[in-house]
Amino acid sequence: MSHPLTLPAADQTRRGRGRLLTALGIVLLAGTYAALVATQPAGLVDGIGQGVALATFGAYLAAALLLLAAALPQLPPAALTLIPIALALNIVLGQFVGSVMIPLYLDSIGTVLVGFLAGRRAGAATGILGTLVWSLFNPTVLPFAAGAALVGFLAGTAARIGAVRRVYLAPVAGLVAGVLAGVVSAPVAAFVFGGTAGVGTGALVGAFRAMGDSLLGAVTKQALLSDPGDKAIVFLVVALLVYALPARLTSRFDFVRRHRVLGRRAAG
Amino acid sequence: MLSAARLHPFTPLAVAAAVVTTTTALGTWWVSLAVVLGCLALAAAAGVLARLAVASLAILAPAWGSQLIIHGLAGRAGEHVIAAAGPLRVTSEGLETAAGLGARLAVLVVAGLLCALLVDTHDLVAAVDSSPAPPQVGYLVAATLSLLPQLAARQRAIGEAQTLRGARAGRGPSGWWTRLRLRAVPLVLSSVHDAADRAPHLAARGFPPRSRVTRLRRVPDSTAQRRVRRLALAAAVVGPVAVLGVPVLLPAGGA
Amino acid sequence: MSGVVRAEIGSFRYAAAGVDALSGLAVDISAGSLTGIVGAAGSGKSTLGAVLAGLLPRGSRGPAPGGGHDDDRLSGRLGLDGQQVVFDADHAPRIDVAAWARRVGMLPQDARHYLSGVRATVREELAFSLENAGTPRSRMLAAVESVAGELGIAHLLDASPERLSGGQERLVAIAALAVADPGAVVLDEPLAGLDADARAEVDGLISRLRERGTAVVVMSHAFDELVTRARTVHVLSGGRAAASGAPSEVRGAAEECGVLVGTGAPAPVPAGPAAGEALLEFERVRLRYPSAAAPAVDGLSLHADAGTCAALLGPNGSGKTTVLKAAAGLLRPEGGRLRVEEPGLLLQNPADQLFERTVEREVGFGLRGGRRNPAVAEVLGRLGLAGVAGTHPYELPASQRRLVALASVLVRRPRVLLLDEPTVALDAGGRRHLVDAIRYALETGAAVLLSTHDEPFAAAVAHRTTRLERAAPNGP
Repeated sequence: MSHPLTLPAADQTRRGRGRLLTALGIVLLAGTYAALVATQPAGLVDGIGQGVALATFGAYLAAALLLLAAALPQLPPAALTLIPIALALNIVLGQFVGSVMIPLYLDSIGTVLVGFLAGRRAGAATGILGTLVWSLFNPTVLPFAAGAALVGFLAGTAARIGAVRRVYLAPVAGLVAGVLAGVVSAPVAAFVFGGTAGVGTGALVGAFRAMGDSLLGAVTKQALLSDPGDKAIVFLVVALLVYALPARLTSRFDFVRRHRVLGRRAAG
Repeated sequence: MLSAARLHPFTPLAVAAAVVTTTTALGTWWVSLAVVLGCLALAAAAGVLARLAVASLAILAPAWGSQLIIHGLAGRAGEHVIAAAGPLRVTSEGLETAAGLGARLAVLVVAGLLCALLVDTHDLVAAVDSSPAPPQVGYLVAATLSLLPQLAARQRAIGEAQTLRGARAGRGPSGWWTRLRLRAVPLVLSSVHDAADRAPHLAARGFPPRSRVTRLRRVPDSTAQRRVRRLALAAAVVGPVAVLGVPVLLPAGGA
Repeated sequence: MSGVVRAEIGSFRYAAAGVDALSGLAVDISAGSLTGIVGAAGSGKSTLGAVLAGLLPRGSRGPAPGGGHDDDRLSGRLGLDGQQVVFDADHAPRIDVAAWARRVGMLPQDARHYLSGVRATVREELAFSLENAGTPRSRMLAAVESVAGELGIAHLLDASPERLSGGQERLVAIAALAVADPGAVVLDEPLAGLDADARAEVDGLISRLRERGTAVVVMSHAFDELVTRARTVHVLSGGRAAASGAPSEVRGAAEECGVLVGTGAPAPVPAGPAAGEALLEFERVRLRYPSAAAPAVDGLSLHADAGTCAALLGPNGSGKTTVLKAAAGLLRPEGGRLRVEEPGLLLQNPADQLFERTVEREVGFGLRGGRRNPAVAEVLGRLGLAGVAGTHPYELPASQRRLVALASVLVRRPRVLLLDEPTVALDAGGRRHLVDAIRYALETGAAVLLSTHDEPFAAAVAHRTTRLERAAPNGP
């Protein structure tokens, strides 16, 4: 049996399918978000509407799965071995940070790391897979997969456009990612769970509500107060971590080499 | 009565999905309570009651607190004010809303965690591999689950190594930063190195595959379970539609 | 006999590297043969192995958008099973790594990097490549059982890959390579770091592999029992072939190039002038890990005196590391008495403690003045690391990386120097620096306690030995 030892030039068929699935996922996500913001009807002000909860849960989860199906087949082996490491780092470092009583989540260090080293597709896939794995320990995180995907995607985008070539630019990119991810995730907290995962954030939402905000408005404001700062620190920490890696190691990631993510760093 | 070892991993997941969607659509507190109790009974039969209870409460307690504050204390709806202080109004409607949301959340958490405890992760991965999902999903989930204890152990080893060389971190933000650096840098450095070293060998073993994969592992299954899964999946969609649709249809049909 | 693999490498350079990693090499591997490739750490052995196995050059997905051509560069020709693949500046074919691996497989230095790490049993792990190729289940089962039977690891088939010992991991990884029935396998340091029993097992498995007709290429930093049986040995130095020929012909050249020849035992190290006072004492000590059911070590008595070196011997799993950790204060004894003065421990895995950007920052961490502390330059000079003071520790070959970890222990001038398997991963030059460091510590009045399974080394450097037995196998 004479199987050829070399590969033909890259094929384009998978890309087309990937683009289609990505577009479907984004349309579903954006459509759900727009519908929720536009139709906040009176009966929903208190967020218990069962149909809305199920529809939001389902649509956000389905959008995330579509994006995952689009991203996975195009990932190179270097990304496939990095992603599990990153997911485990999310959990292990997230626990470490929790254990020192600083009110930050930092549970996306690994996701952002993959975005920086392997690009936006890999970053988005990491965010979604991280949510799927973590849902085995906490099922309530499932509908937040789309928000996590956005963080990974934006980390990859930031790296691609050169926002990691200077360490001080990374937190700015993180701030932007935090705003977008917070806004996208707010409807899940508001309409699926009618609240947040912790008492502290709950008190904040309660305060906004008492001041007269709608539930979605209050949850969004709370997210905008905590998420951008958290993501700015995560992006900064990961940028510093990436610069602590030897150039010979970072240059083993095709994405880093192609887009000169770390600027003109020569490998030894 | 409940032999988790004989279950195809998708069977409990499909049943849980049907139960969660239908219960959520019903939104009746006593149904939710009954479902939670049912899950706890199943957990007791499978010998995982204590783990299920602890894991569920760890998630539910803070979330319930949040819902109570948002709806019970700071809710704006409701006529029956029980207590009020400045902008805070405790109304019976608000408490009812919080209780309803809390019950809905409890069903999702308890049913979901029960599945996670009953399902063998290796069987789950083999089932995902044999499903139409991209083969990368199974690998990535399995690799993450097997890496978690390894990374935690490495984290401990790094802590020991840093203690040995007398690396101390002060207090306050700079101490936090030093601690994070002492722990995170060696961990990230060695694990990213590991990942890069593994990649070519994973490719050499034919991953990612170009066609459907086969699995040596046989996942337990039966015709009955396949039927249950099909019914459950249908119920997961039809159940809520029926529950939510019927009250709307009824008056329309009656008019 | 026909050649299974024929490689003519003009030059090979890693992406973004300033110098060639390999140049002017020709390797010809005939069916069923045993070939040795020896060299000091950093001589290019692993790179050559990866080129033979088709893992290098790494194909990129087209040129970078900026136009900069930044990929691995290989010029030369590789011949496999009658197929020729030519690489040059204009023509860089992308290798189908999986197809190549069915003809030439490679075992990396760390066998765990080859194992997928995602399977529940060794049987499933062995089937991983076949699963990915979509092989029907019955054929997979037959192939796995036959390979495991012929290579003598059938008893491991139901074990969990996570619970294998270091030696067993290599057995399983080599068997996994053999499942695809490649014409040749490249084994990178298959015997390094194993105790005598495990070495014999791996060696036996390699012999059985050759009986099946598979050609074996062994990379080693030592002229060990495998290399001395090879038909041809290539000696690498700085990415070039320093010598090639029968083992007896190239032995001298290998020694000159920093390959460990013979047992590698150094000249005996005398006790220091201040011999006498006990700096470390164990008295009927019982040690148990918090999660373990049975103690790892029980009733252990030993002492290390100023100016002398004590060695802990025993097979893997006999509790040597546990004793050293207790001596360093990481584990409190459950019973008995333990006294120690100012210990410093070199751990087995240097990756656990390296975190700075340069060697000198690493060694100077936590000292007054950091890397500018005069003790840093002094220690680096003694360990032969002065020339790499500004390099990232991870860019060094394994042998030097281990010495960096040793430097970061020595720089604190511990009165009791604890060394856990210090010879592992060291090439001949590294071993010389290690022995010098031990001699220096003894001369300056420190005590040394080291664990090793390298008995000739222990006999030369230690003045007293304690032998630990493997604890009875018991629960988790």
